[in-house]
Amino acid sequence: MTTTIIWTIAILTVLGAVLAVVLYFVAEKFKVEEDPRIDEVEKVLPGANCGGCGQAGCRAFAQFCVESSPNLDKCFCPVGGNEGMQKVAAVLGVEVAAKEPQVAVVRCNGTCENRPRTNEYGGYQSCRVKAALYSGDTGCSFGCLGCGDCVNACQFGAISMDPATGLPVVDEEKCTACGACVKSCPKNIIELRNKGRRNMRVFVSCVNKDKGAVARKACKAACIGCGKCAKVCAFDAITVENNVAYIDFTKCKLCKKCVAECPTGAIHAVNFPVIKPKPAAEAPAEPKPAPVAEPVKKEE
Amino acid sequence: MDKLLVSPSPHLHTKTSTKSLMRDVVIALLPAVVVSVLFYGWSELLILGVSVASCVLLEYVITRYLLKKPCSVGDFSAVVTGLLLALNLPSTTPWWIVFIGAVVAIGVAKMTFGGLGQNLFNPAIVGRVFLLISFPAQMTDWTRPQGFIGGGLDALSGATPLGLAKEGGVAAVEGLDYMDMLFYNIGGSAGELSAIALLIGFVYLLVRKVIRPYITLSILATVAVFSGIFWAIDPTTYTDPLFNLLTGGLLLGSIFMATDYVTSPMSNWGGVIFGVGIGIITMLIRYFGAYPEGVSFAILIMNSVVPLINKVCHAKKYGR
Amino acid sequence: MMKTFSIGGIHPSDSKISKDCKIEVLPVPSKVFISVAQHLGAPATPVVKVGDQVKVGQVIAEPAGFISAYVHSSVSGTVKSVGPRKDLAGNNMTHIEIDVEGDEWIEEADLSDTLITAIPEDNKAILEKIKMCGVVGLGGATFPAHVKLCPPPGKKADCLILNGAECEPYLTSDYRIMLERSKEIVVGAAIMKQVLGGCPAVIGIEENKPEAIKAMTAAVAELQKTAKGYDGISVMTLKKKYPQGGEKQLIDAVMSRQVKSMGLPIDVGAVVQNVATSLAVYEAVQKNIPLITNVLTVTGDCLPMDKQHNYKFRIGMPLSYIAEIAGGVPAEAAKIISGGPMMGKAIANMDATTVKGSSSLLYLTAEQTVRGVESACIRCGKCAEACPMGLEPFLLNKYARNNMMDELEENAIQDCIECGCCLYSCPANIPLLDIIRIAKGDVIRIIRGRVQQGKK
Repeated sequence: MTTTIIWTIAILTVLGAVLAVVLYFVAEKFKVEEDPRIDEVEKVLPGANCGGCGQAGCRAFAQFCVESSPNLDKCFCPVGGNEGMQKVAAVLGVEVAAKEPQVAVVRCNGTCENRPRTNEYGGYQSCRVKAALYSGDTGCSFGCLGCGDCVNACQFGAISMDPATGLPVVDEEKCTACGACVKSCPKNIIELRNKGRRNMRVFVSCVNKDKGAVARKACKAACIGCGKCAKVCAFDAITVENNVAYIDFTKCKLCKKCVAECPTGAIHAVNFPVIKPKPAAEAPAEPKPAPVAEPVKKEE
Repeated sequence: MDKLLVSPSPHLHTKTSTKSLMRDVVIALLPAVVVSVLFYGWSELLILGVSVASCVLLEYVITRYLLKKPCSVGDFSAVVTGLLLALNLPSTTPWWIVFIGAVVAIGVAKMTFGGLGQNLFNPAIVGRVFLLISFPAQMTDWTRPQGFIGGGLDALSGATPLGLAKEGGVAAVEGLDYMDMLFYNIGGSAGELSAIALLIGFVYLLVRKVIRPYITLSILATVAVFSGIFWAIDPTTYTDPLFNLLTGGLLLGSIFMATDYVTSPMSNWGGVIFGVGIGIITMLIRYFGAYPEGVSFAILIMNSVVPLINKVCHAKKYGR
Repeated sequence: MMKTFSIGGIHPSDSKISKDCKIEVLPVPSKVFISVAQHLGAPATPVVKVGDQVKVGQVIAEPAGFISAYVHSSVSGTVKSVGPRKDLAGNNMTHIEIDVEGDEWIEEADLSDTLITAIPEDNKAILEKIKMCGVVGLGGATFPAHVKLCPPPGKKADCLILNGAECEPYLTSDYRIMLERSKEIVVGAAIMKQVLGGCPAVIGIEENKPEAIKAMTAAVAELQKTAKGYDGISVMTLKKKYPQGGEKQLIDAVMSRQVKSMGLPIDVGAVVQNVATSLAVYEAVQKNIPLITNVLTVTGDCLPMDKQHNYKFRIGMPLSYIAEIAGGVPAEAAKIISGGPMMGKAIANMDATTVKGSSSLLYLTAEQTVRGVESACIRCGKCAEACPMGLEPFLLNKYARNNMMDELEENAIQDCIECGCCLYSCPANIPLLDIIRIAKGDVIRIIRGRVQQGKK
């Protein structure tokens, strides 16, 4: 009895020792030399592996940062934001310039009401499949297809479909501007725009390139490319090309003159405080604190 | 229609659905069910009823309240599982054992894997094998109950032919008539009763193109060849091929259980490998194992190899 | 033993309801809109301006690349506009709008009914005519015909296959021309055969069209007796099975050869042309008539017999105009398809106009065409059994949903011909082809990218 136990212990001990030596040599032989800074950078990254930085994942991004250091201009982790990049820069011992925070903006207001359905789609519920097949189930061949590819692409649960309008809604709190939704949209409706001062933004919620009359017939809220907004803009922020207006968010001063001018209501101003007596145009940066800032519109 | 429907091609679809396929399997099982009820009477009817009802009920409860998925009872797959389980049990099985079998079949073998299409093992067989191991006495009690026709408590009904052969060797089964086995067997579970009834079901499944014949035929051929070789070597120790083909759960297993879509290989060649494996394991258990019958075990073992077979066997591609 | 392709295939009901309806000529509308994208490849470039007077058969758009084709005016009149208009799928495409005035043809066109059996000797001139007349393959893909008829250097055609299979259910336009224009088709075949260097020509027809087989056999026999250059043309009866008319399947059926993955038919010595293309070649070479007409079937189970039609149409006619002449859109129609029910396109916009490859207005009822609710895959393998390319759609579906590009390529997704057999036969209504089609595009892009990088 005792001998059995002793033998068992002896054999297992010898076996363990031999295998440990084998493992040690194998590990030595197949060791991969890697910059230890990659691990350190990876530690300060959010670890979402969303690919928003343009790399295959957080580890790949860490490697990219280490390789491109000391110049980190091309590296930006949208999830961690400026704060996160400061940490990365600190690890690598370099400087990095701050970037404007951004948010995903849905540029289509073709709600069920504004844009009546002209046919019924009966295939697989995927925007890519639908876009490859035809222009969509409304008269507008540029607008949102409503199958929710962007919702599926978002790793942060920041986009949801509004059943009332049939359009995606971005939750600004959760959006990290990683750009996955932008890539997933076959109609290129979603754009990353600067968050703007106090989250206030003005943008054209339409990408329809059809001529005014055609666009208008398909959707009540379409941009008809009339150019009134461009004329009224004092900062040259608005360009009209291919029958559709575009507001450059780096030039826009949030004066909202264009919003009042637009005949179809295609220009949206969001998160502006409600001011009763006069048009809000003159007072975008009122020093008064507006504790409950009710949004004017929330069609985003 | 005020709005045109638009969808990608093709615009026509087959009328065959999961539901119709499962319904065809139920129809193909009907001859065997009718024969078993005729010969085993009320007690068999009770087993069938309890088995089918509990399978369907469990599937409903689990999909509806546990998984909170759309209810999949309408596709008849639970009915098929229930029927197969019942046909695999001795006709004297108490109802609560049948119910436990259904719980294991649906609850453990099917739903824990994610429901229809996801299970690795055939639910009915898992249920049956669980019962066989848990309740060995009840599961090998082949006392024949009073049927609607055909005698009643038969003197010969103490054991299945395979059981007799296991205990007493070839000599013990010498007196058995093959015609009896073909039309209504001497002892065994309800589904083993009549080879003809099962073969009618097989033909129906083939005609309706529900199954492809490769798996079934390769199992039967393997069993015939394997037992043929041993029988030729020593006919006094080993039972003959025809005996092996007609007795036990071989036909029921090879026609209805091994061909289960979910747990069998996708390609034809894969099916042949699968069938040969089942045939060999079955015969190994019958000749050399502790149990008199091995079809259920053979199918379960081969079920576990299916993902591997699928990885190796692919269809012949055009131009490659 | 009748021949057919060796892998997969399905047997949908053939529903050739309109097969006994003679071809009728559609009246010319007051206005046509001719799309510049009438073919596979680059859309043609318009060469007319607003206000130009055009005759029937005059070139109005020129090819914009190697794989592209001429487009001709189908009417005589004044060009009203050149600009975007919504096509069949509702997308914008340049259309040339012409107001119809009279019906004045270009002078070279021979509008008589006389059959010209003597084949010109100069192959170069024949090819030039086929190109100038804008002849494209009319079997569905509308690939420019002259490109296919000039095998690349080093490759030789062993057999010209004329596709008279018309394996798509419902369609009867090829069947009707095989009955009514059989001799012209044979002349066209002889011309193409000569251009390809005198290889034999086989006209493949499915067994469910015995009258067409009879008519074509008789036409071949008569021409072989009365004229020169018709030797080596034969008719082959094929078993009825979809997709018999697929190029790769037809080569397999007729020649028992299989085209390699990503390869071309000419790699195995085959050239496949549709019978309607053969007719267009005849008209172009022998009659100087460019491809501006084709035959289209108006059919559907919900149409009474007297509203079933086979029409000879001109390109640029609005579909709504044709539907109206045919007796209106039936109330039961839930979906209207241009092309066959297996590979055709559902029409989103009835104001779209006919193109060279238009082959039908098919009305399907909701009961026939609405897909069932998707349920779990039961791994029955019916999709793999049906796939004529020997692929495993259930597997491709799984990989595609998880974006596994390497596995997709390994399992030959790029070989998919989008015939629809998998989705047709799936008992669980899984949108196999919808998903595979998109993933196939991605994989082919990856392969092409790799090939191009290799070149650099």
